[in-house]
Amino acid sequence: MSSLGGSRRRGRQAGSIAAYGIAFAALVLTLFPLYWLFMISTKVPREAFKTPPDFIYLPDFSKYVSIWTTGTFAHAFLNSVIVILGGVTIALLVATPAAYALIRFRLRGSRYLKLWLLLAYTTPEFLFVIPMYVVYQQIGLYDTQIGLMLVYQVFAVPFAVWLIQAFFGEVPRELGDAARIDGCSDVQTLLRVYVPLAAPGLAATAILVGINMWNEVTIALSLTFDEARTVTIAVAGYRGYAALRWQEMAAAAVTAIVPMVIFAGLAQRYLVRGLTFGAVK
Amino acid sequence: MTAVAGHAPAVSLPPARRSRPYRGGRFVVPLVLVLGLTSLYPTLYSLYMSLFDWNWGQRFNYVGLTNYQDLLSPATAVGARFIGALGNTFVFAAGAVTVELLLGLGLAVVVNRLGFGTGIIRTLLLVPLMISGIVAALMWKVILDPTVGFAGFLLGSLGLPRLGFLGDPSQMMASIIAIDTWWQTAFVFIVLSAGLRALPLEPFEAAEVDGASAWQRFRYVTLPLLRPLILIVLMFRTIDCLKVFAIIYGTTGAAKETESVQVASYLVAFKETNMSRSMTMMVIFSVIVLAIVAVYQRLGAGRGSDL
Repeated sequence: MSSLGGSRRRGRQAGSIAAYGIAFAALVLTLFPLYWLFMISTKVPREAFKTPPDFIYLPDFSKYVSIWTTGTFAHAFLNSVIVILGGVTIALLVATPAAYALIRFRLRGSRYLKLWLLLAYTTPEFLFVIPMYVVYQQIGLYDTQIGLMLVYQVFAVPFAVWLIQAFFGEVPRELGDAARIDGCSDVQTLLRVYVPLAAPGLAATAILVGINMWNEVTIALSLTFDEARTVTIAVAGYRGYAALRWQEMAAAAVTAIVPMVIFAGLAQRYLVRGLTFGAVK
Repeated sequence: MTAVAGHAPAVSLPPARRSRPYRGGRFVVPLVLVLGLTSLYPTLYSLYMSLFDWNWGQRFNYVGLTNYQDLLSPATAVGARFIGALGNTFVFAAGAVTVELLLGLGLAVVVNRLGFGTGIIRTLLLVPLMISGIVAALMWKVILDPTVGFAGFLLGSLGLPRLGFLGDPSQMMASIIAIDTWWQTAFVFIVLSAGLRALPLEPFEAAEVDGASAWQRFRYVTLPLLRPLILIVLMFRTIDCLKVFAIIYGTTGAAKETESVQVASYLVAFKETNMSRSMTMMVIFSVIVLAIVAVYQRLGAGRGSDL
């Protein structure tokens, strides 16, 4: 917006070079640590911590294979996939009708419902995680995938409701009214008008909720142990064994990061939407 | 025109809107059930258990408000620890939110000036947001390692003194704030960047015609127009930072210099099995966090959006 008008061009050019310089510095600071992580994952520790470091070397990808065949990483990875699939499904099934109701009807108490969503999303995790741990121990849901999926709804449902509300808000109200006149019930209006028209938004919501669940630490650490352990906890687990296994840990970390970056790329158009809870297009 | 006035419209919607008050309500039943089970029920459970002395064993005594008294009095060991953790949490949140807001806002303004490459730069800057807190913590623990870390090597080769970072108690908090800055500044950046692009042009044109300098345009036009978004960003970053767990758990762990409330609560519950004390800590802390949310709402955070 500051490029308006043609005056002071030389100053602008200098400013533009400075701007590229700053952006480049930000990129280096952002990406170099990730490059370093990748490098550690492809060097034996003796090489990885040599000073000065070799930037040109023969990468050793063996740990990217061995993490799958030994230890519990593969199991944890599969757990995370299952928890995400189940958790995202529950979140969408719960949040979609709620967002529809909030957009389309004048709900009694909708103010309090919205407040509840905000409170559920903002409460510090351990307020509900510690009691859930106690209850789960008693009813046998501790260290299970289903138990984790359920507790993840505390942050997944409010997030999904906010996003889907924003996407449903873009569906012209008249389309819904027209469907009603044609004899559709409220449920049919939701399923035949709103859901198809907002399908890309729903898909983006699913991806963003899935990324949040994949990366979650606090709840997974407290409510799982071994059977239902998730991928991020497994990465941290390489620290806990007899010795710190840097190369495996780095390889596992990179393996955990890459799918999320790809998914984020798929939802790129909706990322800003998602990160602002639907508030900004 | 006047002939039909007062008559029902030719095509009328089914009269259900008035006669069936639960028409919309049934669509929120699953939400009320799920949130009731996962959010309301455990909160009430915590409130109830905070009135007991329970260590996951035989000891289960009603103690009234003793847990609260102990935690809030600096004279007791548990109180000193809790108050220390509260202090750490607020120092961390204040530091991280301030740094991230300034960097994110500055970066948004700068990147929006760029003629080409903004799309790819924006996308690449977002990558840390897709990474788990524990992964970010472990990655930085390696890089900041006082003996083998790359950061130390870099400082050394620039002729600067090597720092202890996470290994030096006096540098722990600053190191963790730096890690969070790497991890979450992109959130501030991307939201404000989108906000900047959505601003109307007219006020800027008017200001330029009036001879306002670049700084004046930023100060008196950009900032006021961005205020609602800055408030949302501040609210979510503040809350997120107050809840900090993974990047501390993954780096300095139980060190008292950086122990946050959530880290303390985790350790008290799962390592010391003092369940009721941990729940009391979270009840007190949640009240504080909710009060902060209320202040942000009062200031107008989220007004006009779906929040």
